[in-house]
Amino acid sequence: MTNYETLLSVENLSVGVSDKRKINTVIDNISFEVKKGEIIGIVGESGSGKTMTALSVIGLLPPSVKILSGKVNFHGKNLLTIEDKEFRRLRGSEISMVFQDSMTSFNPLLTIGAQVEEMLRLHSKYEKEEYKALTIEALAEVGLSKPQEIYQKYPHQLSGGMRQRAMIAMAMITRPKLVIADEPTTALDVTTQSKILGLLKKMNEKHGTSIILISHDLRVIQSICDRAIVMKDGKIVEAGPTQELFSDPENEYTKKLLAAIPVPFSKNSIMSKDIQNEIFIRNLERNENTLKKDIPDPAEQKNRQDDILMIKNLNVFYSENGKRLLGKRSRKQVIHNMTFSVKQGETLGIVGESGSGKSTLAKAIVGLNKEIEGIININDGATEGLVSFLSKPQMVFQDPYGSLNPTKKIGWILEEPLKLQTKLKKKERLAKVNEIIREVGLSTEHLKRYPSQLSGGQRQRVAIAAALIVNPKLVILDEPVSSLDVTIQAQILRLLKDLQKKYNLTYVFISHDLNVIFQICDRVCVVYQGEIVEMKEAKELFFCPDHEYTKELLKSAMLISKNCCHI
Amino acid sequence: MKKMVKIKGKTYHLNYILGLVITSLVLLIVIIGFFYTPYDPNTMNAALKNSPPSLMHPLGTDNFGRDILSRVMVGAGTTYVIAVSIVLIGAFFGTVVGALTGYFGGWLDEVIMRFNDVLTAIPSILLALVFVSIFGTGTYNIIFALGILFVPSYARVIRSEFIVLRERDFVNNAKLMGAGSLRIMFIHILPNTRNVLIPALLIGFNNAVLAEAGLSYLGLGVQPPQASLGRMLSEAQSYLLDSPWYALAPGLMIILTVLGFSLISGGMGND
Repeated sequence: MTNYETLLSVENLSVGVSDKRKINTVIDNISFEVKKGEIIGIVGESGSGKTMTALSVIGLLPPSVKILSGKVNFHGKNLLTIEDKEFRRLRGSEISMVFQDSMTSFNPLLTIGAQVEEMLRLHSKYEKEEYKALTIEALAEVGLSKPQEIYQKYPHQLSGGMRQRAMIAMAMITRPKLVIADEPTTALDVTTQSKILGLLKKMNEKHGTSIILISHDLRVIQSICDRAIVMKDGKIVEAGPTQELFSDPENEYTKKLLAAIPVPFSKNSIMSKDIQNEIFIRNLERNENTLKKDIPDPAEQKNRQDDILMIKNLNVFYSENGKRLLGKRSRKQVIHNMTFSVKQGETLGIVGESGSGKSTLAKAIVGLNKEIEGIININDGATEGLVSFLSKPQMVFQDPYGSLNPTKKIGWILEEPLKLQTKLKKKERLAKVNEIIREVGLSTEHLKRYPSQLSGGQRQRVAIAAALIVNPKLVILDEPVSSLDVTIQAQILRLLKDLQKKYNLTYVFISHDLNVIFQICDRVCVVYQGEIVEMKEAKELFFCPDHEYTKELLKSAMLISKNCCHI
Repeated sequence: MKKMVKIKGKTYHLNYILGLVITSLVLLIVIIGFFYTPYDPNTMNAALKNSPPSLMHPLGTDNFGRDILSRVMVGAGTTYVIAVSIVLIGAFFGTVVGALTGYFGGWLDEVIMRFNDVLTAIPSILLALVFVSIFGTGTYNIIFALGILFVPSYARVIRSEFIVLRERDFVNNAKLMGAGSLRIMFIHILPNTRNVLIPALLIGFNNAVLAEAGLSYLGLGVQPPQASLGRMLSEAQSYLLDSPWYALAPGLMIILTVLGFSLISGGMGND
């Protein structure tokens, strides 16, 4: 259905930010074309200029950013020289955009219906009733059930996936020729992600709309794009049809990006057979072990001691504070009757969608959530008297922007736990801080900086350092890499593995990303609506899942990378 | 759109720069006033009653023949000292109350904040009148009365910041490190409120200047012969028609002070 008429062509576009009379080039002389009815992907790490490219096409660059040279031709008109009034007409009716964060890109004070309808009002003339009918039709088209009700609702009353659908409805309602989708699925769960991508593909096929899909996630690009552009530092390093690009990358950087995709779902994985063999052997071994264990022996007792964390019949609640004095407190149960244990030195993965209670569980384990029933037994194996540090379980949070105090320097942040938990002198504390900062791959120079002066990956390294500095045995990692780029993700995961080996750490690793889980975890626990639905060795879980929900999770992760190995 | 000014590579709001210039001028006058005045501010001269501005007395003299320039210099100093003390008292207790209620929440929060509401519901000048009529007039009583009246506004600002910040992960992190509640409140969280606290201090200073002027104008604050801006305005009103320069000087000083600080706090933060 693709015809070869060019819709948009970008020629030698350069964009720069002027700062103190110097001009920092953000986009460096890039050229590409978008044909009618084509889905083109732009992939790159954050800071590579993907979003700037999109914004210069749609003419929404921030005032400090200047276009240095080049042309953006759309339907034979140069969008860079076009008059504002004309451009305003084009925006929305011919070119529209889907943003990453659907929560902030909707106006919280207006209903979804009013906002979607406004798009239509600005660009066409109908009767009042027709507007409403068309809007409801558009909402139904993007797969929102009960569009009449959705029409009346406010953005916060919808889930992330529903908002993103409404966003797409808004972008598509005027039947534009080109839709720019900037990381449209990044903030969503895997299952929702694949549905939204499917929807974009459907809209593309149904209306022949060209789509520019921007993402840092290669799997997203791979799943629906016809062609892809790889960007780095404002330059296009490689471009071509998706299939070719991913099966036979030429550029080093593209290779690196591809290599950073976790193993089981990347193109090059042909290891499923090996893994199955391995599982088979493991099962054999386990059978032998269980045979041996029939006779109660000291080994079993030792085994029990090996459990660093034991959780039995755990129920965790979340109470909403009564709004009024003496108001009723409502209690919501988040975790239902969980039982599991974590062995010394292993990595237990906990996977589930957002809202499944993963983070609540993490907070309960470390003692931040006190409304629990059941037993949480932490046996850190610290022989009293010998160990000078307390070894309470520590936690690394998802968002390194939030978990580091913005008003304190890194050195202070790292020293604080030592001040609180040890009786070390100032000099000893500083020595320890200097040691740990090198351990996580940063230099002592970083100690003098504030968190805002570090990149996301560096911040997460600091967060890890802050958790490890008190020598804990057990570390809870709550989505530690979810907010990072793929290549940085791989680096952090490697760092975590190295540290685990070095200090014999035990990890409880929480993530919604199955690929990450697969990469780092020994055993995996699948959580659905506060209950454990399945718990298995990682490889076993990925290749022979039992529970329906696990299968669905795996399937949606697979859908995103359609041309990867099959189970 | 606000205008921006570039100085040494950094951009500032034009308002911020204007505010800085005005405030430093006013502060300069006050600081000089502490050490030197052209005449003794309290020496009377019957021969020079209500004389208009001249070379000898650039801002004229008052009804007792005292030099108005000297009195404004000293009076502004008095007003500033009082205003700063009021703000410090209000901000200190307000911060403590706001931190406690915001961080812990619960019934303590409810009780204290409702009491806070009651305090804010009554016009502050009226409450100050009640205070002064119970404890008597005088500089220290004014500081004490207005200081307490300033507590609720700071408590409210700090409390709302704490409610937001206590949910942040770095606070959770501090809890995991084993930091106590007080340490978390004042070492970990408090510095993060500076973006709100500093403008609140500046605006508070303005309000304190106005409140002092108001109370002294009513004759409840600084007692004669000591000069303060409000006191001078109050004395000037009987001569408003015959010698308007008497009221003009202290009035202008108040306007410049308030304007300067308002411009600074308005232009700050979002640069």
